[in-house]
Amino acid sequence: MTADRLPVEVSGGRAPLLEVSGLVLRYDTEVGEVSAVENVSFSLGRAEAMGLVGESGCGKTSVALSLLRLAPDNARYRSGSILWEGVDLLGLSDQQMRLYRWAEISMVFQGAMNAWNPVYRVGEQIREAMYQHFDPPLSKPETNQRLDDLFRLVGLDPAVQNRYPHELSGGMRQRAVIAMALSCEPKLIIADEPTTALDVIVQAQILEELKEIQEDLGLSILYISHDMAVIAQVTDTIGVMYAGKLVEFGPTREVFRRPRHPYSFLLLSSIPSVTGPRRRPVSLEGTPPNLLAPPAGCRFHPRCPWATEQCRNDEPPMMQIGPSQWAACWNAEQVPEMGDQLP
Amino acid sequence: MIRYLTRRLVQMVLLFLVFLTVTWFLLYILPGDSVALKYAGNPNIPPEAREVALERLGLDKPVLIQFRDYMFNFFQGDLGVSFNQYPRPVVDIIGERLPRTLVLFLTALVTYYWAGFVAGKFLAWRRGNRGEMAVTIGGVGLYSMFLPFFAFMLIWFFSVQLGWLPISKFLDPEQWRDAPFAANEVFMRLFWVTLLTAIAMFMASLAAHRTRGRMLERILRWGGGALVIAAFLFYWFGTEAGQGMRIYAGDIAFHMILPVLTLTLINFAGVMLLTRSSMLETLREDFILTARAKGLPEGMIRDRHAARTALLPVATSLVLAVATVIDGGVITEAVFSWPGMGEILISSVLSEDIPLAVGAFAFIGVLALIGHFVVDVLYGLLDPRIRVTEHG
Ligand SMILES: Nc1ncnc2c1ncn2[C@@H]1O[C@H](COP(=O)(O)OP(=O)(O)OP(=O)(O)O)[C@@H](O)[C@H]1O
Ligand SMILES: [Mg+2]
Repeated sequence: MTADRLPVEVSGGRAPLLEVSGLVLRYDTEVGEVSAVENVSFSLGRAEAMGLVGESGCGKTSVALSLLRLAPDNARYRSGSILWEGVDLLGLSDQQMRLYRWAEISMVFQGAMNAWNPVYRVGEQIREAMYQHFDPPLSKPETNQRLDDLFRLVGLDPAVQNRYPHELSGGMRQRAVIAMALSCEPKLIIADEPTTALDVIVQAQILEELKEIQEDLGLSILYISHDMAVIAQVTDTIGVMYAGKLVEFGPTREVFRRPRHPYSFLLLSSIPSVTGPRRRPVSLEGTPPNLLAPPAGCRFHPRCPWATEQCRNDEPPMMQIGPSQWAACWNAEQVPEMGDQLP
Repeated sequence: MIRYLTRRLVQMVLLFLVFLTVTWFLLYILPGDSVALKYAGNPNIPPEAREVALERLGLDKPVLIQFRDYMFNFFQGDLGVSFNQYPRPVVDIIGERLPRTLVLFLTALVTYYWAGFVAGKFLAWRRGNRGEMAVTIGGVGLYSMFLPFFAFMLIWFFSVQLGWLPISKFLDPEQWRDAPFAANEVFMRLFWVTLLTAIAMFMASLAAHRTRGRMLERILRWGGGALVIAAFLFYWFGTEAGQGMRIYAGDIAFHMILPVLTLTLINFAGVMLLTRSSMLETLREDFILTARAKGLPEGMIRDRHAARTALLPVATSLVLAVATVIDGGVITEAVFSWPGMGEILISSVLSEDIPLAVGAFAFIGVLALIGHFVVDVLYGLLDPRIRVTEHG
């Protein structure tokens, strides 16, 4: 079975909110085409939290931006579709797409420290989004009330909305960004490395609160991180990306318990685990490939300790392994056991 | 902000004192006795008359005493009397000339900053379209043009060839022969009416910028603008005071077109290129991506987010513009025989009319300092990050 339309089953038969199939996105550059997202498919149900992990530069942000159709000017969508409640976002006009942004899908950007325009007050910047998307428009008192509520929800004093961004600490800015992302009652929030720039304590608090808000409001959320440990605590399903490709997808528990792709396996074995089965730590060597000229066959083969002749020549499709787990590896069935047979 | 501005004010006053002292000594001392020679050096006048003449001009006392008296009087608003237009007080002459210079250059400054900013904004926004190259090359070409040469070219084209605009000067003497008004009176009226109109226009567009309703914004921007213009026209055509003065005020305004056009064409490209690069930089900022993600309309991203933030470095460049206006002013006024401060500066120095020259320099110094101060305040208003910090 190929990657097309695969993981509908993962969301347990519920009609998915978002269904990405065979997405291919490349960046035009002077030195050639960067293959940043290659045939990526996944789906996300209502009120579901999904994680997307992978090393820096593997295309996580590119996937996220595609969902809002905000990829940089030199990005080209070569094929695939992004179905949002059955509507293909890639087929919409700019004007139609504008109505989906923030009202349906909002985003907490990577490095949200700079997400604020320095010359306007924080509250004003949230107001302008609300002004665009509520139909019929909220009255002034309603808007104010909603702003106050949002600030309380993310653990900020409502008075903060009258401050300028530079007057807030990093943690406050990040909380305010979350308030902004929630402002237009979206169904999905994309959180791209929402906490990497913060210190560990604040990071944990914010993640926890975000998780609570998500569950209370029944939102879907797409967490993006390079940190498996972070993702583990807050997601239901997880997708692992390597060099522009989705290499494993499945329920977070399953993937953590029994990773089916060598890359996931190596990523996981590099985090110390207290509860999981004891494994010998194996290190992940080498660096990710240059996406201008990705390796033939499996993109991971140059770094894979178990690579075979087949891996070097043929590209493995996404294959169903467990009841709801998928992996793109020729040797997926043997993966965790192979870890114990390493020299 | 307040503390910062107070500090700047004190600095400005000190700087001005130094400037005035240096100017005074340079002008009074350097020519030595030549001034006395010029005004009382005629060997045919009797020595007593000579004494009297020197005393009247205040040249009989020791230099330091003269300096002390000058400074003392200066801060009481007395800048002495002109040697050449004796006994007309210097303050009078400057009072007549200063508004003419201010009006000409402020008009030019506002026009070319506005034109440059708008052009730069669209160049950056519609990056890579066909017009861009043409506008950029044209702008840079004009920018690198030698001012007097360009001014003469425009005069030749518009005044000599086409005969559309007056060649030079401030008004047409033929038309003013039996005028019931003094030129200055008309001019000041023109100045105030136009200033009020400009302020009202600015307020309307500011109010439009602040509102979020698209309809309301349009109504304010266009309706408000139209209303202000209607009021302006009504003053000149509908009221008695305005009707009487209209042709004379029109004549003065007519004479301003060419100098303003010259200054605008030469200077707007600088502002345009600066705005363009500042805007391109701003467009790469994360908050622009946020604005897009929020689903704001393109016009709002361009104006409210990108252009508004890109304005900051452009506002800083106004400081330099103040300097350009002063040195370009002397040349421009000379080329167009515009009777303003630049013209006094040249003629008083050439004719060794020392009190007038010192007075003119002093006022130009004051203007430069005020210009800087205004830019500082403006910057503080534009950038909230400056507004709250104590030290700039
Ligand atoms: N505008 C662009 N033009 C060309 N290449 C780009 C562009 N944007 C991103 N890339 C390349 O595409 C690949 C994927 O980038 P992306 O930002 O999606 O990765 P990421 O997984 O989010 O990385 P990180 O963890 O560092 O944020 C990278 O190799 C990057 O260098
Ligand atoms: Mg990223």
